Amino acid sequence: MGIKVDFRKRFYKNNERKKGKDPSFTVDVNFEAGNELAVLFGQSGSGKTTTLRCIAGLEKPSGGKITVNGTVYFDCHKAIDLPPQKRSLGYVFQNYALFPHMDVKKNITYGLKGMTDQEKENRMRQMLHLLHIEGLEDYYPSQLSGGQKQRVALARALAPGPDILLLDEPFSALDMIVRMKLRERIKLIQKELNIPVLFITHNPVEAFTLGDKIIVFHEGKVQQTGTPEEVFYQPKNRHVAELVGVNNIFDDAVFASHIDKDRTLFKAGELEIITRHIEIKTDKRISWGIRPENITLLNSDKDNRELYENHFSGKVISIVNKGASKLIAVRSNKERRVLISEVSNKAYEELNLFHGCNCTFSFASRDVLIFV
Amino acid sequence: MLEQIWFPLYITLKISLVSSLIVAILGTLIAYILARKEFMGKWLVDVLVTLPMVLPPTVTGYMLVVLLGKNGILGKVLFDLTGIRLLFTWQAAVIAAFVVSLPLMVKTTTAAIEAVDRELEYVAYTLGRSELETAFFITLPLAKKGILAGIVLSFARAVGEFGATLMVAGNIPGRTNTMAISIYSAFQGGNSELANTLVIILVLMSLISMAITTRLVNSWKI
Repeated sequence: MGIKVDFRKRFYKNNERKKGKDPSFTVDVNFEAGNELAVLFGQSGSGKTTTLRCIAGLEKPSGGKITVNGTVYFDCHKAIDLPPQKRSLGYVFQNYALFPHMDVKKNITYGLKGMTDQEKENRMRQMLHLLHIEGLEDYYPSQLSGGQKQRVALARALAPGPDILLLDEPFSALDMIVRMKLRERIKLIQKELNIPVLFITHNPVEAFTLGDKIIVFHEGKVQQTGTPEEVFYQPKNRHVAELVGVNNIFDDAVFASHIDKDRTLFKAGELEIITRHIEIKTDKRISWGIRPENITLLNSDKDNRELYENHFSGKVISIVNKGASKLIAVRSNKERRVLISEVSNKAYEELNLFHGCNCTFSFASRDVLIFV
Repeated sequence: MLEQIWFPLYITLKISLVSSLIVAILGTLIAYILARKEFMGKWLVDVLVTLPMVLPPTVTGYMLVVLLGKNGILGKVLFDLTGIRLLFTWQAAVIAAFVVSLPLMVKTTTAAIEAVDRELEYVAYTLGRSELETAFFITLPLAKKGILAGIVLSFARAVGEFGATLMVAGNIPGRTNTMAISIYSAFQGGNSELANTLVIILVLMSLISMAITTRLVNSWKI
């Protein structure tokens, strides 16, 4: 059971469809999710919301097939296109979309059909309990806080017992503490109801902490599907790498040689970069990258720590305080290439670095990402 | 004298209420379609509905006479089928009032419906509610201020209607002499006492209806 999605939706500028021109944008997605929390992750405009709306039947794909729990929602070849009313799903919008003229009770029971008033009341109580919002039933949406509104929106979506829950950036308008609490709640709810939950976010932290599975979107295409660990530590290409916070990406690595059975040597401009063993067929330039937290900084004068395989001397050119850590830009002396290193505050204090000081930066071969 | 006051008041209210009722129902339907549907020739519907707002009422009235007269396209069919002659009746005045006040209703209500967040409708659809249910329980209740404003404007326009009404219904005492027309003929005939009385009644009526509407709208939270 779960959801299976494989469809295309083409967008055209004004009248270009009639003129037979190519679409200006195409959303072309293909993924599956079981009874798990799957995060659709990507920048705005990458096709995440279009995907969700097509699943919900609010937009019509140009072709393909969508199946949820064995029910075909959309099939281009068989001319099946269930209206949203016939698709058993809960949809939660970023801005809650609560009915402003109805109180919480009416909002939650709005999707309940064919029930007696007592049954509706019981179902509503269940939902209030599930979302921890007992006591709010007589309030109107305008009297609620953002977090409460989103809980009511979730309760309303879940009340009819949908086969799948679709959440479009539901927490992005909330403050951090409320957001963290709601993330926990949504995880518990997913486990308890055991249905597929699709969750859109552009926030890497949210994607990582929430997802059983992450589906990475870029320019309308699914780039990579995998566990958070796979996506964050083994991004498949440079688009995914950029999204998961690999700040240092360069497009100039050329295969040089295999050092031994574990390590491979690349040349990036004048720099020599040692990586784990990589089978490579092309002699063209390829992209390589390194996460900022994987670059270790050493104070050239005092530090006697052991260096990783890749190490270069350089200068500190800027220090940005991120709160819990510092982002330090270093420029290599050879070739004057700028890399960003993320250093914890504690390590930063011990390093005694300052703007313009000499330093050495190093990183391990196993941490170098190569995008073939 | 009393008959000269009461009848115009009665016939004006009757014409305006009936016309406003039809305008409210049809106008809301047309406004919903214009606000939420895409179809071929939508612009034409929009133009045709709006046209009476920019045309001189006498032109609208003339076109109605051509259309509804005994030899007109619609008038002939009606006469052949039922023997009813529409022109110079209070029903003709209702049609004139309807045509000139419809644009006010449609314009105001379309704007109000367009202002309702579509996501609310989408949520209702995903909760299993049909488009009709959603329109009646979500969209229209949320657009009710605009709808009421449209009805009030249309009613006021119908009460004050002169040109088109004169063309299609004439000024037949005891049958189609509305307030606006009676004021004009009293003024023309030098009966300033009657003209003054009718003017005062009309102004008072407008003030009271505006006051009631404003209070009603202010009492609505949404």
